[in-house]
Amino acid sequence: MTALRPRAATATASRAADDALVRVRGLQKSFGTHRVLHGIDLDVREGEVAVLLGPSGSGKSTLLRCINHLEKPDAGFVEVADEVVGYHLSGGRLHELRPKAITRQRARIGMVFQQFNLFPHMTVLENIVEGPVASGVARRVATEEASRLLDQVGLGGRGKSYPRQMSGGQQQRVAIARALAMHPQLLLFDEPTSALDPELVGDVLAVMQDLAESGMTMIVVTHEIGFAREVADTVVFLDGGRIIESGSPGTVLSNPTHERAKAFLSAVL
Amino acid sequence: MTSTDLSDRAAPAHVDPTPIPSNGPGSSALTRRPHDDELLAARLVPLRCKGQWIAAAAVVVLFTMLVNTLVTNKRFQWDVVGHYFLREQILKGLWLTLWLTAATMICGYVLGIALAAMRLSRNAILRTLSFGYVWLVRSVPPLVQLLFWYELASLYPRVSVGIPFGSEFVTVRTAHLFTGILAAFVGLTLDVAAFSAEIVRGGILAVDHGQSEAAQALGLGRGRIFRRIVLPQAMPAIIPASGNLLIGMLKATAIVSVIAVQDLLYSVQLVYQQNYLIMPLLMVATIWYIILTTVLSIGQYFVERHYARGRGNSARRGFWDVTRGNIPLFGRSRRELAGLS
Repeated sequence: MTALRPRAATATASRAADDALVRVRGLQKSFGTHRVLHGIDLDVREGEVAVLLGPSGSGKSTLLRCINHLEKPDAGFVEVADEVVGYHLSGGRLHELRPKAITRQRARIGMVFQQFNLFPHMTVLENIVEGPVASGVARRVATEEASRLLDQVGLGGRGKSYPRQMSGGQQQRVAIARALAMHPQLLLFDEPTSALDPELVGDVLAVMQDLAESGMTMIVVTHEIGFAREVADTVVFLDGGRIIESGSPGTVLSNPTHERAKAFLSAVL
Repeated sequence: MTSTDLSDRAAPAHVDPTPIPSNGPGSSALTRRPHDDELLAARLVPLRCKGQWIAAAAVVVLFTMLVNTLVTNKRFQWDVVGHYFLREQILKGLWLTLWLTAATMICGYVLGIALAAMRLSRNAILRTLSFGYVWLVRSVPPLVQLLFWYELASLYPRVSVGIPFGSEFVTVRTAHLFTGILAAFVGLTLDVAAFSAEIVRGGILAVDHGQSEAAQALGLGRGRIFRRIVLPQAMPAIIPASGNLLIGMLKATAIVSVIAVQDLLYSVQLVYQQNYLIMPLLMVATIWYIILTTVLSIGQYFVERHYARGRGNSARRGFWDVTRGNIPLFGRSRRELAGLS
């Protein structure tokens, strides 16, 4: 973990010596009186796959959603590629950005949801090209790219189907293709396999593993310990809104030091 | 068909105590019974309800009585109905009813969508304004609103544009501004706006929040999310209620006859006030309203089908399938469709 340093003056400034793509510092979030995140500090390097583990209610999803500003933090900040997400610093204060600027930032951060959240009134192809077309890519170019992405996730030729005509595993792979169509620098996965039937989980995890091997930076909330063991570079264990353990999968999964982590892992393994 | 299926079905008819064979992969020898061929060849007859036929007979009798009285009661004076049905003054009134309905619905919905967006916005002032508007307009009967706009001149003899509490640039006499037709248009539009705002708001709330989150994560802007993602998905919830409102408005325009706007109803009233053929002329208006409503209902079907995209096959049934499915006593086709829906 690196020491705090002043934010680069412009987004195009060259990255500092460390290659941290995502930097979370002192992140706090409450819903009403319920404190969900108690000051999270986290670094994710470029090309790294970080898996967030922890019991339900530990704040994994909230942390993920703060990273692309679907949730606004109460304190602390998130930096992605040297830009503070959702705010700009001026006069010693973090002012919330206008929706347009946040939209621009989000375009570089892909997200895959537990419930897929494909647009049911659009075909698979329309789902994938919607983002690029909105950001100014020609529809023809976006469509060609979308077909290629569908091949990549093993669904070549299914572009004209509607989401409801597909299995959950297929829908989730479409959702991954949709996120990739924006050429994100970072992909967030919020329990991508939790809503799937067990026999469909493998296809989705295989696509995610391919992505990890191609060098995509990924932050994954999951309960698939096998995936964490094989694919993750870093496993981060959250409990009660705090990171209680983090490190290589070998260390965290095999020799957890914290009691809560031990209890959780023995329950899920 | 496996042997267990057969023996299950035939069981009550049999006293033969043949044990039910196991259905495992190894059971190569299927049992045979004398009835098997006959059972396999038999046609399946679905259960018929006696009550349904009695009800059907009653409906047919009542319907025949209705047609009978329409045809035989000379006082309907169908020749008079035919004489006036396509008269120019009636068609003029019809045309006014049509465009007044279209104009109030379009303008009302533009206002209504804006009001719904205001009501769902994070800005407390916009929310309160929208709520207050809907509350006020829904509280006042449309007929009263119509009279209010028509008689606005008695409240504000002059309307002017200028700086609030300051100088005035343009001044118009209200009596000139609010003719009957404009009062009708304004009154009905404001009414449609209030009701459509609630319909649109309900539809928007019915769209899963995950949809707009996914769109945000894709980097779509707020306007585009509303237009491309939320509104199309709100449509299936919005359209049936809107179709209802449209048909209601088509008929509600008849109230403009009280401020002497010459719509379909007022046109026939003008005729029967001269010749006292009240019933035949009311039938002329009624038949026209029925025709228009029928056309709108058919249109609503096609719009609903368009927005049912991606919802599986049942919503893609053809027009006649749906029509037949909704008319009882069409026997087989109805049952088949019921299985699909």
